Amino acid sequence: MASLNWRTINIDALDPDSPANFDLSSLTPAIAPVSTADVQALASQIRQLLRGGDSEGALQGALENPPYGADDKGKDIHLATVIEILQSIRQSDMSPMLSRIYSSPGGPEALDVLMKYIYKGMSQTSASSTTRNIAPQATGFSQIHSRGGGEGGGQAMSVLLSWHEKLVEIAGPGSIIRVMTDRRTV
Amino acid sequence: MAPPDVHHLFHHPIADHSFSADRQTLAVARENNVDLYQRQGGKFQLKDELTGHDKTVTGVDIAPNTGKIVTCSQDRNAYVWEPSPQGWKPTLVLLRINRAATCVRWAPSETKFAVGSGARLIPVCYFEEEDNWWVSKHIKKPIRSTITTVAWHPNSVLLAAGSTDGHARVFSSFIKGVDARPEPSAWGERLPFNTVCGEFLNNTAGWIHSVAFSPSGNALAFAAHDSSLTVVYPSAPEQPPRAVVSISTQLLPFMSLVWSSEDEILAAGYNCEIYRLQGSEQGWQLAGSLESKGRPGMQDQREESALNMFRQMDLKGKVTDDTKLKSVHQNTINTIRSFEESAGNVRKISSSGVDGRIVVWTL
Amino acid sequence: MSQSLRPYLQCVRSSLTAALSLSNFASQASERHNVPEIEAASSPEVLLNPLTVSRNENEKVLIEPSINSVRISIKIKQADEIEHILVHKFTRFLTQRAEAFFILRRKPVKGYDISFLITNFHTEEMLKHKLVDFIIQFMEEVDKEISEMKLFLNARARFVAESFLTPFD
Repeated sequence: MASLNWRTINIDALDPDSPANFDLSSLTPAIAPVSTADVQALASQIRQLLRGGDSEGALQGALENPPYGADDKGKDIHLATVIEILQSIRQSDMSPMLSRIYSSPGGPEALDVLMKYIYKGMSQTSASSTTRNIAPQATGFSQIHSRGGGEGGGQAMSVLLSWHEKLVEIAGPGSIIRVMTDRRTV
Repeated sequence: MAPPDVHHLFHHPIADHSFSADRQTLAVARENNVDLYQRQGGKFQLKDELTGHDKTVTGVDIAPNTGKIVTCSQDRNAYVWEPSPQGWKPTLVLLRINRAATCVRWAPSETKFAVGSGARLIPVCYFEEEDNWWVSKHIKKPIRSTITTVAWHPNSVLLAAGSTDGHARVFSSFIKGVDARPEPSAWGERLPFNTVCGEFLNNTAGWIHSVAFSPSGNALAFAAHDSSLTVVYPSAPEQPPRAVVSISTQLLPFMSLVWSSEDEILAAGYNCEIYRLQGSEQGWQLAGSLESKGRPGMQDQREESALNMFRQMDLKGKVTDDTKLKSVHQNTINTIRSFEESAGNVRKISSSGVDGRIVVWTL
Repeated sequence: MSQSLRPYLQCVRSSLTAALSLSNFASQASERHNVPEIEAASSPEVLLNPLTVSRNENEKVLIEPSINSVRISIKIKQADEIEHILVHKFTRFLTQRAEAFFILRRKPVKGYDISFLITNFHTEEMLKHKLVDFIIQFMEEVDKEISEMKLFLNARARFVAESFLTPFD
């Protein structure tokens, strides 16, 4: 006790009425918890659709049931599913597919969810591939290797970036704003 | 449609503006002062300055009938300014808040006003004859964060408030001796002070920038930072609302909104343009912008002569001058207000923004 | 501009445009203060979800928005140790002169090379789209600058080595 420095205690954190202790859960409507098994089941259903060639149906299915109530593992599974769908769709099909989803009922929300997954996908880089991070030579004087080494995860990112571009064209900056404000994270 | 009447007053943000009832005097909040402008011909001339606040002024409102001006500021104070032979005479209001005041509006009855504050409460202020002072009563529960906006119901008892905790709420601000007992409405029947008549939250939960009652008072609209606009139609006291219509727009968030009639809302914000929204209980949709494409000044830009283009490239080293936005306002619009009404419908509105412009629009 | 750089910058541009919707907001924690909420972090409800835009694992931008301020952190491409040193020196040079750059933050956010802090006062006195342009242009130029410096350094090192080793011929 004697070594405790009283001056460094953040008294705001101890006061339940202080603005620092705002209850963020009051910003979200009630979310039903989703078990990881349910997410897994949905993922395999969606993969089935994808294998059947119905990538639009798969995308719509994945975006209509975002597992807001799942734990981190469940969310990661769903993220992997969404990214797999996004990667399977050709560049030329993106815009028409997005406009079809946007004009369908509940479409704007689905696209907001897609925007969330795109940002989430882009923030996940370090977890997916850290192996190629080390520079091959400590001296660094060689110029030949300098391009290849840094492009880890670049392929997956460029898919997400082109989806992002197409999505902003259709859903506007409003959907980016909603990714920022929405406390229901994917 | 008449072109908008643009007045560029200065190069500072206008936090809030208000016109007097005859629309000849204009009060704008500029930094720590409130500037009073007088219309002379087609222009506004600076006539008076209300100094007294020592932090950014956040709200100003002129009472249409009595002509009293109320101002509030981040220095935690509010003043009521009354005209006197020696100029404007301020009276300090006893707000009893310990954080910034963020917005202020006179009730339609003009016997009281509400101030939003960062202290997570709303002081409702009224004049105490005995002490010759403006005193306040606090609406406290269940506010959890800064109040960003307040709006009055036509009956001067119900008060809508938006907050950074994402909720738009309707309160009763009934003060005995000041208000007459209000008619029961869909919002509530018995309305003691601080009754919560409604509390609304969007799924996407942005903080609320603006709230407004419809002209009849039977619907409430609010704009939030998630670029959405929500209209609530209450059904009966203590019942869930009859309809909550929320539209998520593709635009940047709206900062301010005005009902022009029961089925039309005008909203403006970070897009620097004013948008028209139309609808009813069945649904609302965006019906376009007030910016007309054929405005003078726009054509010049498009039909640029070759000589001019090369001159630009030579002098400034660039192909086109992209420092000007295509909208009338060059920065975020902070406040829009009704300017002229006839037969219950708003005919003209005034807008002010961060760019220091006041614009009067004909609908 | 290379093929994959354009969508990356486009994405940063639209994310920034959305994030730079700022308003004047007085502190809820301490009276008569008006501080960038993203730095103070004293009220969680006025902070928004941070956005990450990445081109690959070595090049990304972190955008942390709040009600009255946005913090933008950039991770500059560093393919090898020389580039790492150059980036470090370059950003140090800039951050030491931060007051001349208005929106530059003195210290980068952990894991990033350089950070900017844009508050509502900046968006009030400067044009918002020009601020966005500035960040984008910075990101474009910095890569170019670093690789130019690296080429110059290599050329100089070769020249020095040659003249140093001439006597030993």
